Amino acid sequence: MVSHGSGMQDCIGIIANPVSARDVRRIVANASSLQISERVNIVLRVLSTVRSFGVKRVLMMPDRAGIRAMLVRHLSRERNLHHVFPDVEFLDINAASTVDDTILAARMMGEAGVRAIVVLGGDGTHRAVIKGCSTVPIAGLSTGTNNAFPEMREPTIAAMAVALYATGRLSAAQALASNKVLHVSINDGERQDIALVDAVISTDRYIGSRALWKTDSLREVYLTFADPQAIGLSALGGLLQPVGRRDPGGLAVRLSDDPATRRLWLRVPIAPGMIRDAGIADWEQMPADREFAVGLQAGIVALDGEREMPFDANDRVRITVRSNAFSTVDVARCMQIAACEGLFRFTSQTDQT
Amino acid sequence: MAASNPFPLSRDDLIQCYRTMRTIREFEERLHVDFARGDIPGFVHLYAGEEATAVGIMSHLGDGDRIASTHRGHGHCIAKGVDPVKMMMEIYGKKGGSCNGKGGSMHIADLSKGMMGANGILGAGAPLVCGAALAAKYRKKNEVAINFVGDGASNQGTFLESLNLAAVWNLPALFVIENNGYAEATSRDYATAVDSYVDRAAGFGMPGITVDGTDFFAVYEAAGEIIRRAREGGGPSLLECKMVRFYGHFEGDAQTYRAAGELDDIRANHDCLKIFGATVTGAGVIAESELRSIDDQVLALIEDAVKQAKAAPLPPPSDLLTDVYVSY
Repeated sequence: MVSHGSGMQDCIGIIANPVSARDVRRIVANASSLQISERVNIVLRVLSTVRSFGVKRVLMMPDRAGIRAMLVRHLSRERNLHHVFPDVEFLDINAASTVDDTILAARMMGEAGVRAIVVLGGDGTHRAVIKGCSTVPIAGLSTGTNNAFPEMREPTIAAMAVALYATGRLSAAQALASNKVLHVSINDGERQDIALVDAVISTDRYIGSRALWKTDSLREVYLTFADPQAIGLSALGGLLQPVGRRDPGGLAVRLSDDPATRRLWLRVPIAPGMIRDAGIADWEQMPADREFAVGLQAGIVALDGEREMPFDANDRVRITVRSNAFSTVDVARCMQIAACEGLFRFTSQTDQT
Repeated sequence: MAASNPFPLSRDDLIQCYRTMRTIREFEERLHVDFARGDIPGFVHLYAGEEATAVGIMSHLGDGDRIASTHRGHGHCIAKGVDPVKMMMEIYGKKGGSCNGKGGSMHIADLSKGMMGANGILGAGAPLVCGAALAAKYRKKNEVAINFVGDGASNQGTFLESLNLAAVWNLPALFVIENNGYAEATSRDYATAVDSYVDRAAGFGMPGITVDGTDFFAVYEAAGEIIRRAREGGGPSLLECKMVRFYGHFEGDAQTYRAAGELDDIRANHDCLKIFGATVTGAGVIAESELRSIDDQVLALIEDAVKQAKAAPLPPPSDLLTDVYVSY
């Protein structure tokens, strides 16, 4: 088990989801499928980078779907080649290769006192990390399907920013940004959950293979932010009325196939390479902390692209945007400040080991 | 029942799927008992726990669609429509069985149902499926061929060569990896260099997806998409179903490779029949009492199958060379 406290001040966590980007959207669209070997390469780049900036210990989520086994083999080879890496310690988890691994790993990393968690996955993986631990800053690396939440960026740069924050060279005020979540409550908290990007109400009433891609089943879309460059369900808002990650509040969009209530058709990238027309009834801003009542009588709430919470006519579904829910490492700002403050400048070449 | 049906199958179809899954389960549970008693010749590898995958996939198929199965093939056979009574007679090695008692558990076949055979050779089904899929392509009846393979057997050269062939010939061939976590007793962590079966598909330029093989509805939906794609000329794809097996690799396997409490957890939390039952009764589509009634009918069916199997004669020596060669 990981001890709390001592030696953790420069320690970071890495949660690399081996099973993100494996769903049916690879069949119905031409969604990408980042191979395990590429995910391991990303982890290796993060490890070598943070070590170069002084992080000597990394906690990792174990898995039984390929990343751990391949990473251990690679680290052994790297040591033979005298390359320098941090000490990598896998959490004591009996991995089941389900989302529960991610939630538990995040919680354990939070309890162990890591300074930040690097996350490899899509929107769903990041949501699971925040469900497990919302008090440790995260840095997202996109390896999922729709990826509205994690930004596309070379992992080396993200790792540099994380290391600067983890080792105290950048303060929280300099390095971190706060983020919104959507809180979903059924029957006054009888069932509750969160979404980082979108909570979508669909007429589907079973979970099935989880992914959601058929626009004719969509009725309501609730968004923390709406980026016109995003793909997936959040594009339904992003192409109507953009809302920034740091703007107050979110956006609610109601869809309709009924000509009597439909105001317009919106042509959206609903999945990678899949452009569909969606009938839009109306949309409105969601002020933070104001509860929105779901209108559909029976269906399912999809959270960050995955069908999660079925409900029927007896259930009362409420959705609320909440501010300052968790922190992320703002990589662009970190690098800007660090460069301007000369944090990468040295008077002589130093031994980085 | 008054509740509207939220599922992508009719109530009658849901009941039929449950009946088929329960039939597989009881068939295997009975073999577990009868094999331990020494009633059954040869070896058996039980499919108990994995029913949702076979039935979720086979629900999309007709008799013209062909499958090639594995050494753990009873579930595939029943889901594909092979008569469980004839299967039981076959496993007991009796005349009147699916192969007149000369094949046994690992060679049950029924070509009239598109079941090309269980197979005792690991990875041997994949090339057969390429052949069946090539035939389907020429026949132009929108038929597909599906290969089932275990996570361990997917390391066989035959399997990888078949992925290549299916891709270059754009065959309506589908490859289902039944990933129950163990190649006999060897963990996949140890024995598979790139421990992602979906990555295998990417290596041959075909799409691959992973689903929870214990969730009938997840399998049904994903299988429906890959099968529709193949029927329409979209070519091969790979489906990894993550699943659990309730028993050992073979009957008699002490399963010392399992973690403490693993089997209890599997039975309590990952039983596909319990998950299916809770889902359909929770939605108010099928009553619990209806499911129990089906359970009773299935038990009677299996009991009758065992009685018929025990009563049937052994194949006579004169049968030794029948059904060996086909005369054209």
